[in-house]
Amino acid sequence: MGRTLPPIILVLAVLGFCYMLLPILVVVMAGLTAGEILTFPPQGLSFRWVAAFLQSDTYLSAFFFSFRLALMTMIVSTILGTAAALFLSRSNFIGRQAMRSFFLSPVVLPGVVVGFSLYAFFIATGMGISRTIWGLWIGHILYSTPYVIGTVGAALASFDVSLEEAARSLGASPIRAFRKVTLPSISQGVQAGSIFAFIVSFGQFEVSLFLSAPNSEPLPIAMYNSMRYKFQPDAAAAGIFAIILVTASVLLTNRLVNIRRLLER
Amino acid sequence: MAAPPAVRAGWSGVRPRQMKWLLVAPLFIFFVVFFVIPVGLMLATSFNPSAIGPPSLTFELTVDNYIRFFGRSNFLQAAGRSMLLATVVSFITLIIAYPMAFAIAKTRHPGRNTFLLILVLAAMQLDMVIRLYGLMVILGDNGLINQLLMGLGLISSPAPLMYNLLGVVLGLVQFSLPFMILTLVGVIRGIDPSLEEAARSLGASWWRAFFRVTFPISIPGVLAGSLLVFALSISSYIVPALMGGFRVGVLPIHIYQQVAEGARFQFGATVAVVLFLLSATAIVIYTRIGARRSGGLA
Repeated sequence: MGRTLPPIILVLAVLGFCYMLLPILVVVMAGLTAGEILTFPPQGLSFRWVAAFLQSDTYLSAFFFSFRLALMTMIVSTILGTAAALFLSRSNFIGRQAMRSFFLSPVVLPGVVVGFSLYAFFIATGMGISRTIWGLWIGHILYSTPYVIGTVGAALASFDVSLEEAARSLGASPIRAFRKVTLPSISQGVQAGSIFAFIVSFGQFEVSLFLSAPNSEPLPIAMYNSMRYKFQPDAAAAGIFAIILVTASVLLTNRLVNIRRLLER
Repeated sequence: MAAPPAVRAGWSGVRPRQMKWLLVAPLFIFFVVFFVIPVGLMLATSFNPSAIGPPSLTFELTVDNYIRFFGRSNFLQAAGRSMLLATVVSFITLIIAYPMAFAIAKTRHPGRNTFLLILVLAAMQLDMVIRLYGLMVILGDNGLINQLLMGLGLISSPAPLMYNLLGVVLGLVQFSLPFMILTLVGVIRGIDPSLEEAARSLGASWWRAFFRVTFPISIPGVLAGSLLVFALSISSYIVPALMGGFRVGVLPIHIYQQVAEGARFQFGATVAVVLFLLSATAIVIYTRIGARRSGGLA
Protein backbone atom coordinates (compact mmCIF):
# COMPACT_ATOMS: atom_id res chain seq x y z
CA MET A 1 0.00 0.00 0.00
CA GLY A 2 0.89 3.63 -0.16
CA ARG A 3 3.40 3.58 -2.97
CA THR A 4 1.31 6.07 -4.87
CA LEU A 5 -0.43 7.77 -1.94
CA PRO A 6 0.88 11.15 -0.81
CA PRO A 7 1.95 11.09 2.86
CA ILE A 8 -0.63 13.71 3.85
CA ILE A 9 -3.50 11.42 2.81
CA LEU A 10 -2.04 8.69 5.00
CA VAL A 11 -1.62 11.07 7.94
CA LEU A 12 -5.24 12.24 7.60
CA ALA A 13 -6.45 8.65 7.33
CA VAL A 14 -4.56 7.64 10.48
CA LEU A 15 -6.00 10.64 12.36
CA GLY A 16 -9.48 9.67 11.17
CA PHE A 17 -9.03 6.12 12.43
CA CYS A 18 -7.91 7.53 15.79
CA TYR A 19 -11.07 9.63 15.99
CA MET A 20 -13.21 6.64 15.09
CA LEU A 21 -11.56 4.16 17.46
CA LEU A 22 -10.20 6.21 20.38
CA PRO A 23 -13.55 6.42 22.24
CA ILE A 24 -13.81 2.63 22.13
CA LEU A 25 -10.29 2.27 23.53
CA VAL A 26 -11.15 4.79 26.25
CA VAL A 27 -14.16 2.71 27.31
CA VAL A 28 -11.90 -0.32 27.73
CA MET A 29 -9.41 1.75 29.74
CA ALA A 30 -12.17 3.30 31.89
CA GLY A 31 -13.53 -0.14 32.69
CA LEU A 32 -10.11 -1.42 33.69
CA THR A 33 -8.86 1.60 35.64
CA ALA A 34 -7.84 1.24 39.26
CA GLY A 35 -9.11 4.73 40.15
CA GLU A 36 -12.61 6.10 40.63
CA ILE A 37 -12.61 7.80 37.25
CA LEU A 38 -10.35 7.57 34.25
CA THR A 39 -7.53 10.08 34.57
CA PHE A 40 -4.66 10.94 32.33
CA PRO A 41 -2.24 9.27 32.81
CA PRO A 42 -4.23 6.20 33.98
CA GLN A 43 -3.93 5.12 37.60
CA GLY A 44 -3.16 1.49 36.91
CA LEU A 45 -4.96 -1.66 35.99
CA SER A 46 -7.61 -3.42 38.06
CA PHE A 47 -10.61 -5.64 37.61
CA ARG A 48 -12.60 -3.97 40.40
CA TRP A 49 -15.12 -2.41 37.98
CA VAL A 50 -15.48 -5.64 36.04
CA ALA A 51 -16.24 -7.32 39.37
CA ALA A 52 -18.65 -4.48 40.23
CA PHE A 53 -20.44 -5.03 36.90
CA LEU A 54 -20.70 -8.75 37.51
CA GLN A 55 -22.33 -8.04 40.87
CA SER A 56 -24.47 -5.11 39.75
CA ASP A 57 -28.19 -5.81 39.49
CA THR A 58 -28.87 -3.08 36.95
CA TYR A 59 -26.21 -3.75 34.35
CA LEU A 60 -25.96 -7.50 34.60
CA SER A 61 -29.71 -8.02 34.30
CA ALA A 62 -29.80 -5.46 31.46
CA PHE A 63 -26.99 -7.33 29.73
CA PHE A 64 -28.88 -10.61 29.89
CA PHE A 65 -32.16 -8.94 28.95
CA SER A 66 -30.47 -7.59 25.81
CA PHE A 67 -28.89 -10.96 25.11
CA ARG A 68 -32.25 -12.74 25.33
CA LEU A 69 -34.00 -10.08 23.23
CA ALA A 70 -31.23 -10.27 20.61
CA LEU A 71 -31.53 -14.06 20.40
CA MET A 72 -35.31 -13.87 19.99
CA THR A 73 -34.91 -11.17 17.33
CA MET A 74 -32.20 -13.13 15.53
CA ILE A 75 -34.38 -16.23 15.15
CA VAL A 76 -37.36 -14.45 13.63
CA SER A 77 -35.28 -12.05 11.50
CA THR A 78 -33.21 -14.89 10.07
CA ILE A 79 -36.25 -16.93 9.04
CA LEU A 80 -38.33 -14.05 7.66
CA GLY A 81 -35.33 -12.31 6.08
CA THR A 82 -33.93 -15.43 4.38
CA ALA A 83 -37.32 -16.31 2.92
CA ALA A 84 -37.80 -12.75 1.66
CA ALA A 85 -34.28 -12.65 0.20
CA LEU A 86 -35.02 -15.91 -1.67
CA PHE A 87 -38.15 -14.36 -3.12
CA LEU A 88 -36.33 -11.16 -4.10
CA SER A 89 -33.59 -13.09 -5.89
CA ARG A 90 -35.95 -15.48 -7.70
CA SER A 91 -38.95 -13.40 -8.58
CA ASN A 92 -38.98 -11.15 -11.59
CA PHE A 93 -42.09 -9.21 -10.77
CA ILE A 94 -41.94 -5.53 -11.56
CA GLY A 95 -42.15 -4.10 -8.04
CA ARG A 96 -39.25 -6.23 -6.82
CA GLN A 97 -36.78 -3.36 -6.44
CA ALA A 98 -39.40 -1.25 -4.66
CA MET A 99 -40.16 -4.13 -2.32
CA ARG A 100 -36.47 -4.55 -1.53
CA SER A 101 -36.16 -0.84 -0.72
CA PHE A 102 -39.29 -1.10 1.42
CA PHE A 103 -37.80 -3.94 3.47
CA LEU A 104 -34.47 -2.13 3.84
CA SER A 105 -36.02 1.24 4.72
CA PRO A 106 -36.24 0.89 8.53
CA VAL A 107 -32.43 1.00 8.76
CA VAL A 108 -32.33 4.60 7.61
CA LEU A 109 -35.63 5.92 8.97
CA PRO A 110 -35.69 7.60 12.40
CA GLY A 111 -35.81 4.92 15.11
CA VAL A 112 -37.42 7.29 17.59
CA VAL A 113 -40.30 7.90 15.17
CA VAL A 114 -40.81 4.20 14.42
CA GLY A 115 -40.55 3.35 18.13
CA PHE A 116 -43.06 6.06 18.97
CA SER A 117 -45.52 4.96 16.29
CA LEU A 118 -45.30 1.34 17.52
CA TYR A 119 -45.79 2.51 21.12
CA ALA A 120 -48.90 4.51 20.18
CA PHE A 121 -50.13 1.59 18.02
CA PHE A 122 -49.78 -0.90 20.91
CA ILE A 123 -51.69 1.43 23.23
CA ALA A 124 -54.40 2.33 20.70
CA THR A 125 -55.06 -1.31 19.75
CA GLY A 126 -55.01 -2.44 23.39
CA MET A 127 -52.52 -5.20 22.59
CA GLY A 128 -51.08 -4.86 26.07
CA ILE A 129 -47.46 -5.15 24.93
CA SER A 130 -46.56 -1.46 24.91
CA ARG A 131 -43.72 -1.69 27.42
CA THR A 132 -42.82 -5.37 27.40
CA ILE A 133 -40.16 -7.54 25.82
CA TRP A 134 -42.74 -8.53 23.16
CA GLY A 135 -43.16 -4.96 21.98
CA LEU A 136 -39.39 -4.51 21.92
CA TRP A 137 -39.11 -7.78 20.00
CA ILE A 138 -41.38 -6.47 17.23
CA GLY A 139 -39.48 -3.18 16.98
CA HIS A 140 -36.12 -4.96 16.86
CA ILE A 141 -37.25 -7.39 14.15
CA LEU A 142 -38.06 -4.39 11.93
CA TYR A 143 -34.52 -3.09 12.35
CA SER A 144 -32.62 -6.40 12.18
CA THR A 145 -34.31 -8.12 9.23
CA PRO A 146 -32.89 -5.69 6.61
CA TYR A 147 -29.37 -6.84 7.53
CA VAL A 148 -30.36 -10.47 6.97
CA ILE A 149 -31.88 -9.58 3.59
CA GLY A 150 -28.70 -7.72 2.59
CA THR A 151 -26.35 -10.50 3.63
CA VAL A 152 -28.38 -13.45 2.34
CA GLY A 153 -29.12 -11.49 -0.84
CA ALA A 154 -25.36 -11.20 -1.40
CA ALA A 155 -24.93 -14.94 -0.92
CA LEU A 156 -27.78 -15.68 -3.32
CA ALA A 157 -26.37 -13.34 -5.95
CA SER A 158 -23.36 -15.63 -6.31
CA PHE A 159 -25.41 -18.84 -6.25
CA ASP A 160 -26.06 -20.58 -9.54
CA VAL A 161 -29.82 -21.21 -9.76
CA SER A 162 -29.33 -23.83 -12.44
CA LEU A 163 -28.00 -26.21 -9.76
CA GLU A 164 -31.34 -26.11 -8.01
CA GLU A 165 -33.15 -26.46 -11.34
CA ALA A 166 -31.03 -29.53 -12.08
CA ALA A 167 -32.10 -31.11 -8.79
CA ARG A 168 -35.74 -30.31 -9.59
CA SER A 169 -35.51 -31.81 -13.06
CA LEU A 170 -34.10 -35.00 -11.51
CA GLY A 171 -37.31 -35.28 -9.53
CA ALA A 172 -36.55 -33.55 -6.23
CA SER A 173 -39.45 -31.69 -4.64
CA PRO A 174 -38.97 -27.91 -4.35
CA ILE A 175 -38.38 -28.24 -0.61
CA ARG A 176 -35.92 -31.10 -1.02
CA ALA A 177 -34.05 -29.28 -3.78
CA PHE A 178 -33.83 -26.21 -1.55
CA ARG A 179 -32.68 -28.18 1.50
CA LYS A 180 -30.11 -30.30 -0.28
CA VAL A 181 -28.76 -27.88 -2.87
CA THR A 182 -29.53 -24.22 -2.23
CA LEU A 183 -29.38 -24.05 1.57
CA PRO A 184 -25.92 -25.66 1.92
CA SER A 185 -24.40 -23.17 -0.49
CA ILE A 186 -25.96 -20.08 1.08
CA SER A 187 -25.78 -21.29 4.69
CA GLN A 188 -22.72 -19.20 5.49
CA GLY A 189 -24.48 -16.09 4.26
CA VAL A 190 -27.49 -17.00 6.39
CA GLN A 191 -25.29 -17.46 9.44
CA ALA A 192 -23.55 -14.14 8.84
CA GLY A 193 -26.93 -12.46 8.44
CA SER A 194 -28.14 -13.91 11.71
CA ILE A 195 -25.04 -12.61 13.50
CA PHE A 196 -25.76 -9.15 12.09
CA ALA A 197 -29.35 -9.42 13.27
CA PHE A 198 -28.15 -10.33 16.75
CA ILE A 199 -25.67 -7.46 17.01
CA VAL A 200 -28.06 -4.85 15.59
CA SER A 201 -30.66 -5.84 18.16
CA PHE A 202 -28.09 -5.97 20.97
CA GLY A 203 -26.95 -2.40 20.29
CA GLN A 204 -30.34 -0.95 19.39
CA PHE A 205 -31.15 2.25 21.27
CA GLU A 206 -33.49 4.52 19.33
CA VAL A 207 -36.33 2.05 18.78
CA SER A 208 -36.07 0.77 22.35
CA LEU A 209 -36.44 4.26 23.83
CA PHE A 210 -40.25 4.37 23.72
CA LEU A 211 -40.75 0.62 24.07
CA SER A 212 -38.81 -0.35 27.20
CA ALA A 213 -40.10 -0.41 30.77
CA PRO A 214 -38.12 0.98 33.72
CA ASN A 215 -37.53 -2.37 35.41
CA SER A 216 -36.68 -4.46 32.37
CA GLU A 217 -34.44 -2.50 30.07
CA PRO A 218 -31.99 -3.47 27.37
CA LEU A 219 -28.34 -2.63 28.10
CA PRO A 220 -28.10 0.54 25.94
CA ILE A 221 -31.12 2.06 27.71
CA ALA A 222 -29.78 1.12 31.16
CA MET A 223 -26.40 2.67 30.32
CA TYR A 224 -28.07 5.77 28.94
CA ASN A 225 -30.16 6.23 32.09
CA SER A 226 -27.11 6.07 34.32
CA MET A 227 -24.97 8.26 32.03
CA ARG A 228 -27.47 11.10 32.19
CA TYR A 229 -26.47 11.67 35.81
CA LYS A 230 -22.95 10.43 36.36
CA PHE A 231 -20.19 8.30 34.93
CA GLN A 232 -19.90 4.98 36.60
CA PRO A 233 -16.92 2.86 35.65
CA ASP A 234 -19.03 -0.29 36.03
CA ALA A 235 -21.01 0.96 32.99
CA ALA A 236 -17.69 0.99 31.13
CA ALA A 237 -17.05 -2.55 32.34
CA ALA A 238 -20.43 -3.53 30.86
CA GLY A 239 -19.24 -1.79 27.70
CA ILE A 240 -16.14 -3.98 27.60
CA PHE A 241 -18.29 -7.09 27.45
CA ALA A 242 -20.35 -5.56 24.63
CA ILE A 243 -17.15 -4.62 22.77
CA ILE A 244 -15.88 -8.20 23.09
CA LEU A 245 -19.22 -9.53 21.82
CA VAL A 246 -19.28 -7.20 18.79
CA THR A 247 -15.62 -7.82 17.91
CA ALA A 248 -16.09 -11.58 18.13
CA SER A 249 -19.20 -11.35 15.96
CA VAL A 250 -17.50 -9.30 13.26
CA LEU A 251 -14.51 -11.68 13.24
CA LEU A 252 -16.87 -14.63 12.98
CA THR A 253 -18.74 -12.93 10.13
CA ASN A 254 -15.44 -12.49 8.37
CA ARG A 255 -14.81 -16.23 8.62
CA LEU A 256 -18.23 -16.99 7.16
CA VAL A 257 -18.43 -14.53 4.29
CA ASN A 258 -16.02 -12.32 2.41
CA ILE A 259 -16.54 -9.00 4.20
CA ARG A 260 -14.86 -7.08 1.40
CA ARG A 261 -17.27 -8.42 -1.15
CA LEU A 262 -20.26 -8.02 1.13
CA LEU A 263 -19.56 -4.35 1.82
CA GLU A 264 -18.60 -3.33 -1.67
CA ARG A 265 -21.34 -5.01 -3.59
CA MET B 1 -37.30 -39.94 3.27
CA ALA B 2 -40.59 -40.13 1.39
CA ALA B 3 -42.91 -37.33 2.40
CA PRO B 4 -46.53 -38.21 3.21
CA PRO B 5 -48.45 -38.36 -0.07
CA ALA B 6 -50.95 -35.71 1.00
CA VAL B 7 -48.21 -33.15 1.51
CA ARG B 8 -46.59 -34.00 -1.80
CA ALA B 9 -49.86 -33.59 -3.60
CA GLY B 10 -50.37 -30.29 -1.80
CA TRP B 11 -47.03 -28.90 -2.90
CA SER B 12 -47.26 -30.06 -6.45
CA GLY B 13 -50.74 -28.59 -6.58
CA VAL B 14 -49.28 -25.12 -6.01
CA ARG B 15 -47.54 -23.74 -9.06
CA PRO B 16 -43.94 -22.60 -8.43
CA ARG B 17 -44.82 -19.01 -9.35
CA GLN B 18 -47.39 -18.86 -6.58
CA MET B 19 -45.10 -20.63 -4.15
CA LYS B 20 -42.53 -17.87 -4.44
CA TRP B 21 -45.07 -15.48 -2.97
CA LEU B 22 -45.39 -17.68 0.09
CA LEU B 23 -41.73 -16.90 0.82
CA VAL B 24 -42.24 -13.17 1.04
CA ALA B 25 -45.73 -13.15 2.49
CA PRO B 26 -44.78 -13.53 6.20
CA LEU B 27 -42.33 -10.62 6.18
CA PHE B 28 -44.60 -8.50 4.02
CA ILE B 29 -47.52 -9.01 6.41
CA PHE B 30 -45.25 -8.31 9.39
CA PHE B 31 -44.09 -5.05 7.80
CA VAL B 32 -47.62 -3.98 6.91
CA VAL B 33 -48.98 -4.68 10.41
CA PHE B 34 -46.07 -3.38 12.48
CA PHE B 35 -44.57 -0.73 10.22
CA VAL B 36 -47.00 0.65 7.64
CA ILE B 37 -50.10 0.68 9.86
CA PRO B 38 -48.38 2.20 12.93
CA VAL B 39 -46.71 4.90 10.83
CA GLY B 40 -50.05 5.50 9.06
CA LEU B 41 -51.81 5.80 12.42
CA MET B 42 -49.16 8.25 13.55
CA LEU B 43 -49.84 10.33 10.45
CA ALA B 44 -53.58 10.23 11.17
CA THR B 45 -53.02 11.08 14.84
CA SER B 46 -51.10 14.19 13.85
CA PHE B 47 -54.30 15.50 12.22
CA ASN B 48 -56.41 14.91 15.37
CA PRO B 49 -57.16 17.72 17.83
CA SER B 50 -54.45 18.05 20.45
CA ALA B 51 -55.20 16.45 23.80
CA ILE B 52 -53.32 15.18 26.81
CA GLY B 53 -53.36 11.49 27.65
CA PRO B 54 -53.29 8.18 25.79
CA PRO B 55 -54.09 8.43 22.10
CA SER B 56 -57.56 7.64 20.87
CA LEU B 57 -58.01 8.10 17.17
CA THR B 58 -61.01 10.23 16.19
CA PHE B 59 -62.46 11.25 12.86
CA GLU B 60 -62.22 14.89 13.81
CA LEU B 61 -59.60 16.20 11.41
CA THR B 62 -57.69 19.42 11.90
CA VAL B 63 -54.42 20.98 10.88
CA ASP B 64 -54.09 22.83 14.20
CA ASN B 65 -51.02 20.82 15.21
CA TYR B 66 -49.23 21.80 12.02
CA ILE B 67 -50.27 25.44 12.44
CA ARG B 68 -48.83 25.27 15.96
CA PHE B 69 -45.63 23.63 14.71
CA PHE B 70 -45.02 26.12 11.93
CA GLY B 71 -46.30 29.08 13.97
CA ARG B 72 -44.14 28.64 17.04
CA SER B 73 -40.61 29.87 16.63
CA ASN B 74 -39.10 27.26 18.98
CA PHE B 75 -40.34 24.29 16.92
CA LEU B 76 -39.47 25.93 13.64
CA GLN B 77 -36.04 26.72 15.06
CA ALA B 78 -35.65 23.11 16.16
CA ALA B 79 -36.43 21.96 12.62
CA GLY B 80 -33.97 24.48 11.20
CA ARG B 81 -31.34 23.52 13.76
CA SER B 82 -31.80 19.82 12.99
CA MET B 83 -31.36 20.39 9.26
CA LEU B 84 -28.38 22.71 9.70
CA LEU B 85 -26.75 20.29 12.13
CA ALA B 86 -27.25 17.33 9.78
CA THR B 87 -25.82 19.35 6.86
CA VAL B 88 -22.74 20.45 8.81
CA VAL B 89 -22.21 16.90 10.09
CA SER B 90 -22.45 15.46 6.55
CA PHE B 91 -19.82 17.91 5.36
CA ILE B 92 -17.37 17.31 8.23
CA THR B 93 -17.88 13.54 8.06
CA LEU B 94 -17.15 13.63 4.34
CA ILE B 95 -13.88 15.51 4.88
CA ILE B 96 -12.71 13.09 7.59
CA ALA B 97 -13.97 9.95 5.85
CA TYR B 98 -12.62 10.59 2.34
CA PRO B 99 -8.90 10.10 3.13
CA MET B 100 -9.79 7.06 5.26
CA ALA B 101 -11.87 5.51 2.50
CA PHE B 102 -9.21 6.37 -0.05
CA ALA B 103 -6.48 4.68 2.00
CA ILE B 104 -8.68 1.59 2.50
CA ALA B 105 -9.61 1.39 -1.18
CA LYS B 106 -5.98 1.68 -2.26
CA THR B 107 -4.78 -0.99 0.18
CA ARG B 108 -4.22 -3.91 -2.16
CA HIS B 109 -2.89 -6.35 0.44
CA PRO B 110 -6.00 -8.50 1.09
CA GLY B 111 -5.23 -9.18 4.76
CA ARG B 112 -4.62 -5.53 5.64
CA ASN B 113 -7.62 -4.46 3.62
CA THR B 114 -9.90 -6.89 5.45
CA PHE B 115 -8.43 -5.80 8.79
CA LEU B 116 -9.25 -2.14 8.09
CA LEU B 117 -12.78 -3.03 6.97
CA ILE B 118 -13.26 -5.10 10.13
CA LEU B 119 -12.30 -2.06 12.23
CA VAL B 120 -14.85 0.10 10.41
CA LEU B 121 -17.57 -2.54 10.64
CA ALA B 122 -16.92 -3.20 14.34
CA ALA B 123 -17.13 0.54 15.08
CA MET B 124 -20.37 0.76 13.12
CA GLN B 125 -21.96 -2.21 14.85
CA LEU B 126 -20.95 -1.20 18.36
CA ASP B 127 -23.73 0.28 20.43
CA MET B 128 -23.68 4.10 20.10
CA VAL B 129 -24.19 4.56 23.87
CA ILE B 130 -20.86 2.83 24.52
CA ARG B 131 -19.04 4.93 21.92
CA LEU B 132 -20.53 8.08 23.46
CA TYR B 133 -19.38 6.99 26.91
CA GLY B 134 -15.81 6.97 25.59
CA LEU B 135 -16.25 10.28 23.79
CA MET B 136 -17.68 11.90 26.93
CA VAL B 137 -14.75 10.67 29.02
CA ILE B 138 -12.48 12.34 26.46
CA LEU B 139 -14.37 15.62 26.06
CA GLY B 140 -15.91 16.28 29.51
CA ASP B 141 -14.93 19.10 31.88
CA ASN B 142 -12.85 16.59 33.85
CA GLY B 143 -12.16 14.70 30.66
CA LEU B 144 -8.87 13.60 29.19
CA ILE B 145 -8.41 16.58 26.87
CA ASN B 146 -9.13 19.14 29.57
CA GLN B 147 -6.91 17.30 32.06
CA LEU B 148 -4.12 17.30 29.52
CA LEU B 149 -4.49 20.96 28.53
CA MET B 150 -4.80 22.13 32.15
CA GLY B 151 -1.92 19.90 33.22
CA LEU B 152 0.24 21.56 30.59
CA GLY B 153 -0.90 24.95 31.83
CA LEU B 154 -2.34 25.93 28.44
CA ILE B 155 -5.77 26.79 29.88
CA SER B 156 -6.83 27.67 33.42
CA SER B 157 -10.47 26.55 33.31
CA PRO B 158 -11.97 23.58 31.41
CA ALA B 159 -12.79 24.27 27.76
CA PRO B 160 -16.48 23.58 27.03
CA LEU B 161 -16.16 20.70 24.56
CA MET B 162 -19.56 19.11 25.18
CA TYR B 163 -23.05 19.82 26.48
CA ASN B 164 -23.21 22.28 23.60
CA LEU B 165 -23.49 22.34 19.81
CA LEU B 166 -19.81 21.40 19.38
CA GLY B 167 -20.29 18.24 21.44
CA VAL B 168 -23.33 17.22 19.38
CA VAL B 169 -21.42 17.73 16.13
CA LEU B 170 -18.44 15.70 17.40
CA GLY B 171 -20.78 12.92 18.53
CA LEU B 172 -22.73 12.81 15.27
CA VAL B 173 -19.52 12.68 13.24
CA GLN B 174 -18.37 9.76 15.38
CA PHE B 175 -21.73 8.08 14.70
CA SER B 176 -21.72 8.71 10.94
CA LEU B 177 -18.09 7.99 10.00
CA PRO B 178 -18.40 4.22 9.36
CA PHE B 179 -21.47 4.68 7.10
CA MET B 180 -19.70 7.34 5.03
CA ILE B 181 -16.48 5.30 4.82
CA LEU B 182 -18.26 2.16 3.61
CA THR B 183 -20.16 4.14 0.96
CA LEU B 184 -16.99 5.82 -0.30
CA VAL B 185 -14.76 2.72 -0.30
CA GLY B 186 -17.10 0.98 -2.74
CA VAL B 187 -17.21 4.00 -5.03
CA ILE B 188 -13.47 4.70 -4.98
CA ARG B 189 -12.60 1.07 -5.60
CA GLY B 190 -14.97 1.03 -8.56
CA ILE B 191 -12.95 3.73 -10.33
CA ASP B 192 -10.73 2.29 -13.00
CA PRO B 193 -7.12 3.01 -11.86
CA SER B 194 -5.95 3.25 -15.47
CA LEU B 195 -7.75 6.61 -15.76
CA GLU B 196 -5.58 8.07 -13.03
CA GLU B 197 -2.50 6.39 -14.49
CA ALA B 198 -3.28 7.91 -17.88
CA ALA B 199 -3.47 11.38 -16.37
CA ARG B 200 -0.20 10.80 -14.52
CA SER B 201 1.56 9.51 -17.61
CA LEU B 202 0.50 12.65 -19.44
CA GLY B 203 2.43 14.61 -16.86
CA ALA B 204 -0.22 15.53 -14.28
CA SER B 205 0.91 15.67 -10.66
CA TRP B 206 -0.74 13.26 -8.19
CA TRP B 207 -2.95 16.02 -6.81
CA ARG B 208 -3.94 17.27 -10.24
CA ALA B 209 -4.84 13.75 -11.33
CA PHE B 210 -6.83 13.35 -8.13
CA PHE B 211 -8.81 16.58 -8.41
CA ARG B 212 -9.33 16.36 -12.18
CA VAL B 213 -9.99 12.63 -12.57
CA THR B 214 -10.53 10.54 -9.43
CA PHE B 215 -12.55 12.94 -7.31
CA PRO B 216 -15.01 14.02 -10.03
CA ILE B 217 -15.80 10.37 -10.80
CA SER B 218 -16.50 9.72 -7.11
CA ILE B 219 -18.97 12.62 -6.78
CA PRO B 220 -22.13 10.45 -7.03
CA GLY B 221 -20.77 8.38 -4.12
CA VAL B 222 -19.94 11.55 -2.21
CA LEU B 223 -23.51 12.78 -2.65
CA ALA B 224 -24.98 9.42 -1.70
CA GLY B 225 -22.85 9.17 1.43
CA SER B 226 -23.69 12.73 2.45
CA LEU B 227 -27.44 12.14 2.06
CA LEU B 228 -27.19 8.91 4.04
CA VAL B 229 -25.33 10.71 6.84
CA PHE B 230 -27.86 13.57 6.71
CA ALA B 231 -30.74 11.12 7.18
CA LEU B 232 -28.98 9.22 9.96
CA SER B 233 -27.83 12.23 11.94
CA ILE B 234 -31.10 14.19 11.70
CA SER B 235 -32.81 11.14 13.22
CA SER B 236 -30.48 10.59 16.17
CA TYR B 237 -31.88 11.00 19.66
CA ILE B 238 -29.05 9.56 21.72
CA VAL B 239 -26.28 11.86 20.45
CA PRO B 240 -28.02 15.22 21.08
CA ALA B 241 -29.41 13.87 24.37
CA LEU B 242 -26.03 12.90 25.82
CA MET B 243 -23.59 15.20 24.00
CA GLY B 244 -25.92 18.21 24.12
CA GLY B 245 -27.13 17.56 27.66
CA PHE B 246 -30.67 18.43 26.45
CA ARG B 247 -29.48 21.97 25.75
CA VAL B 248 -29.49 21.47 21.98
CA GLY B 249 -33.16 21.13 21.08
CA VAL B 250 -33.50 19.04 17.92
CA LEU B 251 -36.59 17.31 16.56
CA PRO B 252 -36.08 13.81 18.08
CA ILE B 253 -35.68 15.40 21.55
CA HIS B 254 -38.90 17.37 21.07
CA ILE B 255 -40.80 14.22 20.09
CA TYR B 256 -39.70 12.45 23.25
CA GLN B 257 -40.51 15.46 25.43
CA GLN B 258 -43.98 15.93 23.93
CA VAL B 259 -44.93 12.28 24.27
CA ALA B 260 -43.08 10.82 27.25
CA GLU B 261 -43.09 13.92 29.42
CA GLY B 262 -46.18 15.79 28.27
CA ALA B 263 -48.33 12.85 27.02
CA ARG B 264 -49.23 15.02 24.02
CA PHE B 265 -49.47 12.25 21.44
CA GLN B 266 -51.07 14.33 18.72
CA PHE B 267 -48.51 17.10 18.75
CA GLY B 268 -45.69 14.60 19.24
CA ALA B 269 -46.98 12.81 16.14
CA THR B 270 -46.86 16.09 14.22
CA VAL B 271 -43.20 16.63 15.10
CA ALA B 272 -42.54 12.97 14.25
CA VAL B 273 -44.19 13.36 10.82
CA VAL B 274 -42.00 16.39 10.05
CA LEU B 275 -38.85 14.47 11.05
CA PHE B 276 -39.98 11.39 9.13
CA LEU B 277 -40.53 13.44 5.96
CA LEU B 278 -37.17 15.21 6.23
CA SER B 279 -35.30 11.94 6.65
CA ALA B 280 -37.34 10.06 4.04
CA THR B 281 -36.75 12.84 1.47
CA ALA B 282 -32.99 12.51 1.91
CA ILE B 283 -33.27 8.74 1.55
CA VAL B 284 -35.41 8.92 -1.60
CA ILE B 285 -32.86 11.21 -3.27
CA TYR B 286 -30.10 8.89 -2.02
CA THR B 287 -31.80 5.92 -3.69
CA ARG B 288 -32.36 7.89 -6.87
CA ILE B 289 -28.69 8.72 -7.17
CA GLY B 290 -28.31 5.01 -7.63
CA ALA B 291 -26.12 4.31 -4.66
CA ARG B 292 -26.01 0.65 -5.51
CA ARG B 293 -22.35 0.52 -4.70
CA SER B 294 -22.91 1.39 -1.06
CA GLY B 295 -23.92 -2.18 -0.39
CA GLY B 296 -27.04 -3.63 1.12
CA LEU B 297 -25.89 -2.80 4.62
CA ALA B 298 -25.63 0.93 4.54
